Amino acid sequence: MRAAGSGRLRPATAEPHPVEEHPGEPALRISDLVVEFSTPAGTVRAVDHVTYQVARGETLAVVGETGSGKSVTVLAALGLLSAGNVRRVSGRAEVAGQDLLALPARERRTRLGADVAMIFQDPMSALDPVQRVGDQIAEALRAHDRALTARTARARVLELLTLVGVPQPAIRYDQYPHQFSGGMCQRVVIAMAIANRPKVLIADEPTTALDVSVQAQILELLRLAARETGAATVLITHDLGVVAEMADRAAVMYAGRIVETAPVARIFDRPQHPYTASLLASLPRLDQPQGRLRAIPGQPPDLRERSAGCAFAPRCPIGGDRPECRTERPVLVARDDGAVACHHAGQAVTLLPQPDARPSVAPPARPDDAPAVVEVVGLAKVFPIRRGLLARTVATARAVDGVDLRIGHGSTLGLVGESGCGKSTLARSLLRLLEPTAGSIRIDGADLLRANGRQLRRLRQRVQMVYQDPYSSLNPRLSVGDNAAEPLRLAGVPRTQRRRTVLELFEKVGLRPEHADRLPAEFSGGQRQRVAIARALAPSPAVVIFDEPVSALDVSVQAQVLNLLRDLQDETGVAYLFVSHDLSVVRQMADTVAVMYLGAIVETGAASQLYRRPRHPYTRALLDSIPVPDPSIRRQRVPLTGDPPDPTAATTGCRFRSRCPLGRERAACADRTPELRQVDGRWTACHFAEEVA
Amino acid sequence: MSAYLLRRVGQFLVVLVLASIAVWAMVYALPGDAATVLAGPDASGPQIAATRARLGLDKPVVVQYLLWVKGAVTGHLGQSFYSADSVSHTLAERIPATVQLAVLGMLLALLIAIPIGTLIALRPRSLLARLLHGYLTAGLAIPSFWLALLLIITLAVRTHALPATGDYVNFWQHPVAALRWSILPAIAVAVHGSCIIARFLATSLSEVMQRDFIRTVRAKGVRESRVVIRHAMRNAALPTVTVVGIQLGSLLGGTVVIEALFNYPGLGRLLYTSIGQRDYAVVQGGVLFVVVVFLVLNLLVDLLYAYLDPRIRLA
Repeated sequence: MRAAGSGRLRPATAEPHPVEEHPGEPALRISDLVVEFSTPAGTVRAVDHVTYQVARGETLAVVGETGSGKSVTVLAALGLLSAGNVRRVSGRAEVAGQDLLALPARERRTRLGADVAMIFQDPMSALDPVQRVGDQIAEALRAHDRALTARTARARVLELLTLVGVPQPAIRYDQYPHQFSGGMCQRVVIAMAIANRPKVLIADEPTTALDVSVQAQILELLRLAARETGAATVLITHDLGVVAEMADRAAVMYAGRIVETAPVARIFDRPQHPYTASLLASLPRLDQPQGRLRAIPGQPPDLRERSAGCAFAPRCPIGGDRPECRTERPVLVARDDGAVACHHAGQAVTLLPQPDARPSVAPPARPDDAPAVVEVVGLAKVFPIRRGLLARTVATARAVDGVDLRIGHGSTLGLVGESGCGKSTLARSLLRLLEPTAGSIRIDGADLLRANGRQLRRLRQRVQMVYQDPYSSLNPRLSVGDNAAEPLRLAGVPRTQRRRTVLELFEKVGLRPEHADRLPAEFSGGQRQRVAIARALAPSPAVVIFDEPVSALDVSVQAQVLNLLRDLQDETGVAYLFVSHDLSVVRQMADTVAVMYLGAIVETGAASQLYRRPRHPYTRALLDSIPVPDPSIRRQRVPLTGDPPDPTAATTGCRFRSRCPLGRERAACADRTPELRQVDGRWTACHFAEEVA
Repeated sequence: MSAYLLRRVGQFLVVLVLASIAVWAMVYALPGDAATVLAGPDASGPQIAATRARLGLDKPVVVQYLLWVKGAVTGHLGQSFYSADSVSHTLAERIPATVQLAVLGMLLALLIAIPIGTLIALRPRSLLARLLHGYLTAGLAIPSFWLALLLIITLAVRTHALPATGDYVNFWQHPVAALRWSILPAIAVAVHGSCIIARFLATSLSEVMQRDFIRTVRAKGVRESRVVIRHAMRNAALPTVTVVGIQLGSLLGGTVVIEALFNYPGLGRLLYTSIGQRDYAVVQGGVLFVVVVFLVLNLLVDLLYAYLDPRIRLA
């Protein structure tokens, strides 16, 4: 499903309306909003007197972690909370001066999708799977204009599809959501949202479920949508890079309250709330790795336990011990071009890493000539695609297509790439969870693919894996201690010794050994991931494979886990294969990096070189696509067009050709598949690597 | 679409052949030779000889099966020793009665189940939903013969509103009489089915109402009735269609107890009495019919799935 030129936004058929500024009357004003749920543990106040407003043409980013109340606020304001246990929604939610919460449901419905429209997080599940895509957009038009004929509606939908960059709209109109990629689904949801030129656009984590290159396209489209409609935009996100890139102002939420709000430049420059400052300080950076990330200690707040004081106090490096922070809840007061709710607002800025204090040289990169613990040569995994009456193999998907890689003792290889590039297939092949089609894998010099049953079990003790989702990767019926002891039990270690090892490991990964007999359900996501790490380390492996280990965790917890992984590596000398789509996280962790595209490694080398001077156009484009959490560098970027490619499509020549800004029209790229060759101290598979600067 | 359709029809044919072999082999598993078994306990020598000739028992097994299939397709399933009618004729008398009762029962069941299931899914906490939950539990717990007895006592014996026995009257010729003579057995079979269907519908509908796309549709400002009917119902129909298919299949296979209680001339009662009388030719024909009905319904459900869900149709 390749979208030729879809990244370029076509001119709208309608003239863009000039944005009229009404500084006096905001398009959206939420005031004193309170939302409560009844739970078995008592009443939970998810949103606690939240007030914010957005003017026409302005973009407000609402930032926060899981449970901060950022999404519940807007869902409640729009009357879209569907949970059965809503106990109270009070306050005002004015759109163009009209309080939505005061309207009867019937009248509120006439405003939804007309005056205020929403864009949701997971575009694939936001569309009805059994209705035609075009009809779903037309429904947004016809719900507010009964007189609209089917024919006119269809014509308008085709215009909208063109506007949001869906190629071949006349064909796409009659297709179903499963025939669309994630990025294309989100374009459809955006078309639906802007169909009636709303005054307010609310986007709830609109790019979280998408690949980086697609994220860049969708952010660009959101900007266009806001410009086209002149709407006030509320952008709900946990990604500070997206905030820096998109927003005019930001509101930071914590435990159901706004703790700080200010223009974006001010927030990033001079944060006044310790939470804001700590979040900024905890982020891994793309330009260089830091020795240790400044993690925020503790867990995101549990709303069931409300203290009288500041909700952030237990985790706060400034207010933690001060009595006023424990007993008195700070209110939002105006300060430095914004507002902040903190007793000690002036001191937060000291939490930011000072530019000169940042270690200019990251921890020494491990020597490249360390003995290899993993050596992969010519690895390939081909999946047959069966279709038709007799399920014959009609095509093959070359998920991994001739990959060589090597991980040295005690070092970290970062493997990056977009969805479908084959990175997970590769990772699973290293455990022989999948049987590779060709190639060889050596673990500590032993041939993994020729190993028989007993040898294989022994080799698997040397390679362990930590999965993305800590909620489904632990057995819910075993205690966390037994979960972690599982590899030892399989290795035949006696019970008492297992117990001893697990308790030591718990200490090491920052879990309390006395909690070893509890069930996984009692732990948060970050703690569960620590259990999974303890389990992986239990048999003293030579290498641990991490498949997106922090992408399911909140930003503040992510830094804790990354620090832990570094400490454990320093201590035990275990090698890591770190698979991720997040290039900043990989920058923080990896000594060497391999970039994968369509089953092959297109560039590999030392992390510092690859990030500073990418030589493959794909690496370059990926790095360009990442929103950087620094509003002072809003780059004019060249977004990668189209979707991540389909591995079943047969390609000739360079596999990146169809999306490449350099090679799309060059004969060499169509004729010859570029081999990895040494360029500028790293390996790059591009005929024109010298041109990429 | 066509590949899916062809594969499903292919599977249907394979299962049909296997099932027919099982039905055919049934009489060979009984003690004595097939001709004696099929001709019945009181059959005379010539009758047995005729059956033997029809079945070709002196021929190879494969030929015997093919002969039997040929007979089944052309409607020659042998002779009922008891009624002295041909099996096909006996079945043909009963099948319309059973179909009419099954269709009426299923329509009633759907008429009860759809509003109940929808209401429970949309307003789970309402008083009415709680009461209806009680109905569902009771409907599943009460055996249908007990319900049938209650219906007979209250509506027929006490009030004389309806006849105490059922009978088959062709609906297209005398719709009112047909309803009058079959409504009580229809209710008796519908209640149980309605509870199963309503439960399935309620579960899948309330699951669908929690899905993300419902929120998207609401955010468009679409009327709630349209949200439910056009978006939620269509998605919730998928699992529900399966149970409806199975229910209808078992109704078409005959409801032995209900037919017996109401003295209704359906297939279930025919099979029941035929088994008792060791009229194996009728049993074999009847079972074959039931098997084919089940398979055809299964195929129809699969095709309906494809119609309802583009992900299956276009896969």
